Amino acid sequence: MNRFIVLPASIVALVLASITVLGHHSFVMFDLTKKVTIKGVVTKVEWTNPHVWVYADVTQKDAPPVRWGIEYTSINHLTRLGMKSNTLKVGDTIEFTVNPYADGTPGGRFQVMKLPTGKYFCDVGAAQQFCLDNNK
Amino acid sequence: MKTSSFACSILLLGLALGANGLAQDTRPVYPANSSKANYSDLNKLPDWRGLWFPVIGKVGGTEPVLIGEAKKTWDMYQERLARDSRYEIPETANNCEPDGMPSLMTFPYNLEFLFTPGKITVVQEALMQVRRIFTDGRPMPKRDELDPNYFGYSTGRWEGETLVVTTIGTKPGQRLGVAGITNSDQLTITERIYLDSKDRDLMHLDFTFEDPKVLGQPWKRTHTFRRDRTWEQIEYICEQNNRHLIGGDGQTITPKPK
Repeated sequence: MNRFIVLPASIVALVLASITVLGHHSFVMFDLTKKVTIKGVVTKVEWTNPHVWVYADVTQKDAPPVRWGIEYTSINHLTRLGMKSNTLKVGDTIEFTVNPYADGTPGGRFQVMKLPTGKYFCDVGAAQQFCLDNNK
Repeated sequence: MKTSSFACSILLLGLALGANGLAQDTRPVYPANSSKANYSDLNKLPDWRGLWFPVIGKVGGTEPVLIGEAKKTWDMYQERLARDSRYEIPETANNCEPDGMPSLMTFPYNLEFLFTPGKITVVQEALMQVRRIFTDGRPMPKRDELDPNYFGYSTGRWEGETLVVTTIGTKPGQRLGVAGITNSDQLTITERIYLDSKDRDLMHLDFTFEDPKVLGQPWKRTHTFRRDRTWEQIEYICEQNNRHLIGGDGQTITPKPK
């Protein structure tokens, strides 16, 4: 894939501490010890509960693009953080950081995205610290 | 067309007769539903309006003392988790199924308390769960009179500004406090819910779980909530797009990109 950034263990620990915050389903499907950052073109936004989904095509060198499925928290949490159904639009090129699926399925649990405005938007829970630090 | 509207009329007639034909006359009208409701009494109650968001990570109380099968089951899960950190303790048939009481109160979303004469309705934003607490003095039914369900049967009374709630009749096998501990048919949940004496935007919920088939002694768990007066609850339809199916082994299946 394009570029993978493995974040320091301290951030991973914070993420682990937040696992029980989110509810709905177990998080064992994600590799919470890893974070990867990808850049993709948004192909679809599902503004739904229990989770919002964003699909993005990630270009690869010498191969067709791969579609990633990025799983956000609920509409409820995202609304209270300021995201709306039209925050992301089909065709937007967005940088996403996720906890990837453990079994290698292209996609993962949303952590951070860099919006076209240049501002970061972060997941509920521990990921909020990244936005506090980087949206000054 | 004609046949179906005829069938429909018969069905409606049947339902009307059914509703009236049940043993309605022998059932008491409790104060919460009586025609003599006194709304002015509500002014004497503390102000619990707004939404109450759990203070995440702030759970207190005692350690559970597990006995019998409950202890064996807990030990089995811990041993399994030690071998495989990706193991998921099987809890529900699907990821949109509520965990029941007491979990309804502690989802990481928020609670709204609606006061009407003789009744308090608690709405949990997550999964839009609703439970009713009867504060009209009605007697608690006997356990064998209740069909066990997710949220059980709750009666409450005010001790000053503290709401004291007793709940029985929850389905056996639901999560009790943490994953890996489940209740039997003998669970009694006591809740003491009250505003902090210094900070009126802080709510305390003190649980006591008593279950002679599961716990060697009462288990206490305490939670706190922070009030927000700016938000209303947001709808949450879990079946709108639930892509987390649970396999036959009780493990959540990784969804594939569409």
